[in-house]
Amino acid sequence: MAHRPAALALVAALLSPGAALADETCNSPYMANLIKGQEDFLHVWTLGVKGMGDGNDKLVTVDANPKSKNFGKVVHKLSVPGRGEAHHMGFTDDRRYLWAGRLDDNKIFVFDMVNPEKPKLVKTISDLAAKTGFVGPHTFYAMPGRMLVQALSNTKDHGGVTGMVLFNNKGEIVEKYAMPTGDLGGSKGDGYGYDIGINPAKNTMLTSSFTGWNNYMMDLGKLVKDGEAMKRFGSTMVAWDVKAMKPQKIFSVPGAPLEIRWSLKEGDNWAITAAALTSKLWLVKQDAKGEWQARDVATIGDPAKIPLPVDISITADGKGLWVNTFMDGMTRYFDLSNPEAPKQTFAKQTGKQVNMVSQSWDGKRVYITSSLLANWDKKGDDNEQMLRAFDWDGTDLKLKFEVDFNKLKLGRAHHMKFTARPAGKALAELAPRNQTVAVSEPSTRIALAR
Amino acid sequence: MVALACASSALRSAQDADQPRPPGARSDVDVSRLPAPGSYRLPRLMAAPDGEVLDSSGRSRKLHALLAGRLSVLSFMYTYCRDPEGCPLAWRALDTLHTELLRDSDVARHAQLVSLSFDPTNDTPTQMAMFGGERARDARVRWLFLTTASVARLLPLLKGFGQDVTVETDARGRATRTLNHMLKIFLVDAALQVREIYSVATLAPQSILNDLRTLRIEAATAQR
Repeated sequence: MAHRPAALALVAALLSPGAALADETCNSPYMANLIKGQEDFLHVWTLGVKGMGDGNDKLVTVDANPKSKNFGKVVHKLSVPGRGEAHHMGFTDDRRYLWAGRLDDNKIFVFDMVNPEKPKLVKTISDLAAKTGFVGPHTFYAMPGRMLVQALSNTKDHGGVTGMVLFNNKGEIVEKYAMPTGDLGGSKGDGYGYDIGINPAKNTMLTSSFTGWNNYMMDLGKLVKDGEAMKRFGSTMVAWDVKAMKPQKIFSVPGAPLEIRWSLKEGDNWAITAAALTSKLWLVKQDAKGEWQARDVATIGDPAKIPLPVDISITADGKGLWVNTFMDGMTRYFDLSNPEAPKQTFAKQTGKQVNMVSQSWDGKRVYITSSLLANWDKKGDDNEQMLRAFDWDGTDLKLKFEVDFNKLKLGRAHHMKFTARPAGKALAELAPRNQTVAVSEPSTRIALAR
Repeated sequence: MVALACASSALRSAQDADQPRPPGARSDVDVSRLPAPGSYRLPRLMAAPDGEVLDSSGRSRKLHALLAGRLSVLSFMYTYCRDPEGCPLAWRALDTLHTELLRDSDVARHAQLVSLSFDPTNDTPTQMAMFGGERARDARVRWLFLTTASVARLLPLLKGFGQDVTVETDARGRATRTLNHMLKIFLVDAALQVREIYSVATLAPQSILNDLRTLRIEAATAQR
């Protein structure tokens, strides 16, 4: 358990660390078929709101191709039963299936994306907590033939001590791994979890830390008045040997370090993260001896004004970083040409509350959504729920379209993923039905199965 | 269907399929950061699927019968693949592994390489035997070159391993001769469990060799 200094707790009391992981540049390095041109669709994992539409959580599909007659419109809605704090999603390594989790009831929904215009629910995993003791499936990180899921909490006390669960792509649990709580590399683990980022070339996985169910399901107004609860936020990152799935070193990173983004530039071996409560950017990089070190390298806005960075999106060339700050509704751009000293070069208010930020691979399009957590979103007129799409020309964000999730009675717009229409055809679709091949021995000639 | 109905393209040697990786691909695995064999455990990811395959002499065999009792490094491929991030890359890794196994007789005795075609129409047993060449006949390190009798026989194996493949189409929607697939190499243990899956990001012959040695140590420990 992390115990932060009182001053930090005071700052944290006014903040609401959130959720992220979205864009094309933040996908797992094991994933195939990155969309490097124009995306066709955006899929928004949306929290249902009681009394709004059908009230259920849903996967909302928006046409994002400017050449389409439906550009900027909702083209598909797929509701799943109930409300369970819909949060994040992740594709399998082959991009065929999209896994989407709920932080409250721990359900994981698996959507078949073979026809991205009409995702289809093919599996619901409901036994995560019962089989692992972990609660709050948050990050879905594709690995070859399997999905590594970072949880946020546990069944015993609903606090922040948690772990990761390895599934195969069929949705079967293979292994589970506890987040470290002992001393390792000079720092003590808090056992918390949040995001996952893997550098396969260096056999290194980084994890970050947020908070448990007791906090993320609590009304924000009540939470900020609860001094003890406000001490229970993560303050560590962990470097793992990903092959062995063993923790190697714990870093002290105060203030709930959230999203982890490795630079995608060839030859780069550094990662960046944002600590929500302290409004700092942290760099994780090897020192001259090859050992991973973490240090804060920049401040996001004025921490005294509580900007609350909740999501980051790195450019494909590792030269820039989008940062969304929830409280002031700002979308900021940092020049990462020198990752040791990031510099903010642009800022614009893009909403009354903003959480996720996702960019296209070419960096020309930037999308934002609004919802953090159902009980943490702003109230009244400030509870804007939307998806906004911008073009980025290097100097300004220009609004291209907007989807008003309140007006359309969809719910709270949270995590986004991109898809493109498939370029080829399935082997089964094209295979001749009565195909045979001659084999060397007549007795073993294979009669064709249908 | 052009790609799969094209019955007899010219036979190509394995070496022809070898092409350099394109610039911009992720840097190679830093093998110095891999854990030592036996110091880690490989999870049992899933059961390997069974199905009918044809060996390079044209005999019908059950895949499980060919895999059981050995440590198998299995890769789907097709002989005329030209995607430098696909079959040629896998081939190069397996060929290097083959060379390494020649130097490690203990592991080599218990291991085998398996190349299984995506394209049963073009990649007949004869074609696969030609493709395998001397490697298919090298008794020191077993390397099986397999195909199937039909797409219908192949599909359950692809599904069971979780190996995607689509046929690329041209501007008019017609099938081309290109099969798009994600590079995956499967490590299957003697009890038919998939213990590792390698992708472009993790493909390093040393990593596969370490895993084979780890499974040998695991088997030796279990026998004590």
